[in-house]
Amino acid sequence: MLGLKLGKMDLQSPVIMMSGIFSYGEADLGYLDYSTIGAVVTKTITLEPRQGNPQPRIWEAGSGMLNSIGLQNPGIKDFVSHGIPSLMDRGVRTIVSISGQDSGEILSMMESLSALGVETVEINLSCPNVHRDRPMISQSARLTGQLLRDVKREFGQVFVIAKLSPNVTDISEIAIAAEEGGADGLSMINTVRGLCVDIEGRRIIEGGYSGPPVKPVGLRAVYDVYRKVRVPIIGIGGIEKGRDALEYILAGAYAVGVGSGFFSNPFLTSEICGELKDYMVKNNFRRVTDISGMLNEKNYKTGR
Amino acid sequence: MEARNLKITGLTELSAGHYLVELENSFSTMPLPGQFVHIKVPPFFLRRPFSIAGGDAEKIRVLFRVAGEGTRALSCMEPGDELNVIGPLGTPFPVREEWKKAFIVAGGTGAAPLLFLSSRLLSEGREALFFYGAREAGHIMFRLLPPGVDFIFTTQDGSYGEKGLVTGPFEKMLRDGLLPDVIYAGGPHGLLKNVAGLSASYRVPAFVTLENRMACGTGLCYGCVTKIRSGDGWDYRRVCKDGPVFDAADIEWEES
Repeated sequence: MLGLKLGKMDLQSPVIMMSGIFSYGEADLGYLDYSTIGAVVTKTITLEPRQGNPQPRIWEAGSGMLNSIGLQNPGIKDFVSHGIPSLMDRGVRTIVSISGQDSGEILSMMESLSALGVETVEINLSCPNVHRDRPMISQSARLTGQLLRDVKREFGQVFVIAKLSPNVTDISEIAIAAEEGGADGLSMINTVRGLCVDIEGRRIIEGGYSGPPVKPVGLRAVYDVYRKVRVPIIGIGGIEKGRDALEYILAGAYAVGVGSGFFSNPFLTSEICGELKDYMVKNNFRRVTDISGMLNEKNYKTGR
Repeated sequence: MEARNLKITGLTELSAGHYLVELENSFSTMPLPGQFVHIKVPPFFLRRPFSIAGGDAEKIRVLFRVAGEGTRALSCMEPGDELNVIGPLGTPFPVREEWKKAFIVAGGTGAAPLLFLSSRLLSEGREALFFYGAREAGHIMFRLLPPGVDFIFTTQDGSYGEKGLVTGPFEKMLRDGLLPDVIYAGGPHGLLKNVAGLSASYRVPAFVTLENRMACGTGLCYGCVTKIRSGDGWDYRRVCKDGPVFDAADIEWEES
């Protein structure tokens, strides 16, 4: 009922642990029901190792949180040397997240990953915590389209998901450019650029904002973009309980991404699957893909 | 590591702003000294990590000081209320067979996991001398002191024990040549850094427990990292998963 296909992958659930919240995809948490997770996206890997940002990296803000990890990671060479982490024995697929300054860096990483047989890659075009003064790639439709074209030309067989930032004038333009460039799927939204003021320590904390307050922002982005593209959308932003995921799916998400809500609610993935099933049984729906985009003005059902 | 709703069985204000909360331990594991629990305090989004101040198969005790909105909300909860808790988490204090005599150095609420450790060491027939420093007499958790452990108290205002910082009598003892087999420490950054320096000078191994803001608490997000020496430089390691207890010699100490 909850199973679905994403590219060549069969997912046992539409719930995806998004990049940054599940280490490199190897985590073994005693309390987690892995059968409720379709896939795990690794923390973002870059070409060279990165130490990441100095403290503070985490700050509570309103009913959500600000993070500024700064893509701490061991670099692609070290990452592939350990083999791609796998939770396949529990039915969970792995999606590798990568980020780079330009096509050259991304292509070099794609080379290493495809040599290992990685079938699905998410390209993080939208980390708000790396270059403070330089735009993210996903803030330019032209750069987004070009990068995806470069990647798909060389690695047409890899399922490529573009992760987009909400910090743009019109996210639909970027989504369209990504699809035209060859993206096979979209992940949206990444965190919202934000800032906190520590009046005791008299300092500014910058980072990406996430948590329940960004849900309407994510829903709006998914709803709008769904009408403009045909590729599947992984809806992300502020999901902290089962019905949030249902809202995303009805608005146009093909699958849903869980982020910082998982820190707050360790039973989140089970609750999402439970509520999705209850809703579908109650309303006589057979497959979760049947209700994706149901409440949108234009409802595509094909090719997914 | 488990995630469960644990019932509050007791919540006591020990002194102004300092509380002891007792939780029913429905985890299948026993907490070890040095480990922590990651507690969701409604209505806040982020969990709060707390060192375990004591516990066994039935109970988990947490000592905390009201330092912000989250701890204030926790102090207002009542016995019978439930808290969603992930735990026990992190690395415990290492204890080796040959370490017969330990010095324990603690400042403020940093004493919590060390009080737990000291009673454990004592029950194993080891010797522990506990240097316990606080700002004032009211900040010393007299009701939590395990019987049988030897304490040396200091307060910054001189209201109890020796006046000054706790590292004073600790350093004097080392200078007098009374060296332990191992040192354990918890508390403010300056105290830990000082202990690390003394541990190196007197060639006694030291283990310190660090604190940081955390999001996941379970090693997933890399939010709580601290600088740990590696080769010629350092790497950011996770306080929640690689720690919170670290060998003092491995820590790249920041200027304080």
